[in-house]
Amino acid sequence: MERSLTHIALFAALIAILGLVPQISLASGVPITAQSLGIMLCGTVLGARRGALAVLLFLALVAAGLPLLSGGRGGLGVFAGPTVGFLIGFPIAAFVAGWIVERTTLPVGFAATAAAVIGGIAVLYAFGIPGMALVLKKSLGEAALLTGAYLPGDAIKAVLAGLVTQSIARMRPGSLLSRA
Amino acid sequence: MLTLTSPVRTPLDRLPASAKLAALAAGTVLLFWLTSPWALALALAGVVGLHLPWGRPFAAHAARMLRPLWPFVVVVAGWHLWTGEIASGTAILLRMVTAVAAANLVTMTTRLSDMLAVFEWLALPLSPLLPPRRLALAFALVIRFVPTLSERMDRILEAWRARSPRRPGWRVVVPLTLAALDDADHAAEALRARGGAG
Amino acid sequence: MTGIALRDASYAAGGKTILSGLSLHLAERRIGIVGRNGSGKTTLLRLIAGLVAPSTGSVQVDGIDPCTDRKAALSRLGILFQNPDHQILFPTVEEELAFGLRQQGLPQPRALDAARAALRAEGRAHWAAAPVSTLSGGQKHWLCLQAVLMMQPQTLLLDEPFAGLDLPTAARITRRLAGLAQRLVTISHDPAAVAGADRVIWLDAGRVAADGPPAQVLPAFAAEMARIGDSDADTDLAG
Repeated sequence: MERSLTHIALFAALIAILGLVPQISLASGVPITAQSLGIMLCGTVLGARRGALAVLLFLALVAAGLPLLSGGRGGLGVFAGPTVGFLIGFPIAAFVAGWIVERTTLPVGFAATAAAVIGGIAVLYAFGIPGMALVLKKSLGEAALLTGAYLPGDAIKAVLAGLVTQSIARMRPGSLLSRA
Repeated sequence: MLTLTSPVRTPLDRLPASAKLAALAAGTVLLFWLTSPWALALALAGVVGLHLPWGRPFAAHAARMLRPLWPFVVVVAGWHLWTGEIASGTAILLRMVTAVAAANLVTMTTRLSDMLAVFEWLALPLSPLLPPRRLALAFALVIRFVPTLSERMDRILEAWRARSPRRPGWRVVVPLTLAALDDADHAAEALRARGGAG
Repeated sequence: MTGIALRDASYAAGGKTILSGLSLHLAERRIGIVGRNGSGKTTLLRLIAGLVAPSTGSVQVDGIDPCTDRKAALSRLGILFQNPDHQILFPTVEEELAFGLRQQGLPQPRALDAARAALRAEGRAHWAAAPVSTLSGGQKHWLCLQAVLMMQPQTLLLDEPFAGLDLPTAARITRRLAGLAQRLVTISHDPAAVAGADRVIWLDAGRVAADGPPAQVLPAFAAEMARIGDSDADTDLAG
């Protein structure tokens, strides 16, 4: 019980830290935040249920007024803005990613990359695009075009999520709760 | 930890957090009903009016919190200028800015602990699944460990720079995640040592 | 039976035996446990505290099992972790101090009142709302000890209580501990830290190497440590 609770809390904190770190930059030198990498890792490392709860806990603290979203954003305003769909999709993305790692017997690095692509990109965008369409009163196609800007970064982060999860599996197999 | 609550105390701070949240929810639904740019402009004027009496630093804080919206404002404005649908574009932007500003206003005038207390109250129906004390403990643990983990991140980056001329890149995510897992195990033990998660 | 009683207690994790067949009855007021890194000192402390269950054998404190009867264990045993950052769970000083009382059944407002009263009594009233992340190492150490003392356990388990502290802080902690009425079980790799104990147990590779008054155990321990230090190349890998 205690271990479950503290893992959920620490990964909620981890999502925040990954959003605060601008130092992580792609080969191109374009700074991207690793926050969505944090969402993916919640699922691939903690598993479906704990991963989703960690993300929900993180979002609750953001809503309560902590500036934990990338770029120091937070408060209730972010839930009224155009990216609200992504925020709603975050816990579901983590759940799906975790579910995939839990339910497949594929090698963990491969399973986690696939889980991050399906959960952290396909599922996440399935919420993010309608959200943007709703707030900006655009069609789904037009909103998809607008969110396309995030896609290359998220694709790279899905691969990183696979690599990081694989490293955890190798270095601390007992801590990979999604495969415990 | 730094919160987004404004250090400027206003009469709005004295209203109960639950009342402000209920008003915000109703107001946001109303905003999405309105389509006339004039009605929306009036709504925005109302929200702006709620910001102005509390002095310049308060208004500046509110303006800063709206900054992440500008790329969307630029895109939508450009789009509607291109298609010539000026009225609908104006309505969309007014609605978005008003909704976000109103929500930010609630955040700026409500203390973190009050907001969390409302969340804990809202979660009461879930109490068979999620005991209220455990939720409160989870909130406290995150607030406790964000600075700790942030410091760990700085140490990891330093250790990297001490031995490598290149930028740290994504590799720091592995030790950081391991640090989070270690801290989780230690906190679980500390929790057990003092009576568990209840 | 009062006191701490281990009967043939062993502990293994990950296929590696850390403690084997320990039988001890600890009833003295000041008990020291010495040993090298990896000798199983910390595991023994966690076993007594009820944080882990023995793989075989039994651990009892005043006749109760500290691992299964957590409620009874709380009023009997308090443990001070070596690293304060592993022990502190709350963002502010007063919440950290109030938590243990809350766990013992006090309502939150009364627990907070008691925490503030304790801070006032120690001349630290202004610490109440301070974020724990702003405390220095020594201050965190003080907070951890105070948080454990708030729960008024009969026995205090201390894991290297002076590790990493500067001399004035260590002196202050020594003085504070010396004044406590509780039973203290202190583990340390440093013989000086337990020289004033009533009884010292030397743990080596998960077994008791010696057990007796400090005047008898500590010189032998110090001599052996010096001998190993001269010869051992420290090339053995654990596991």
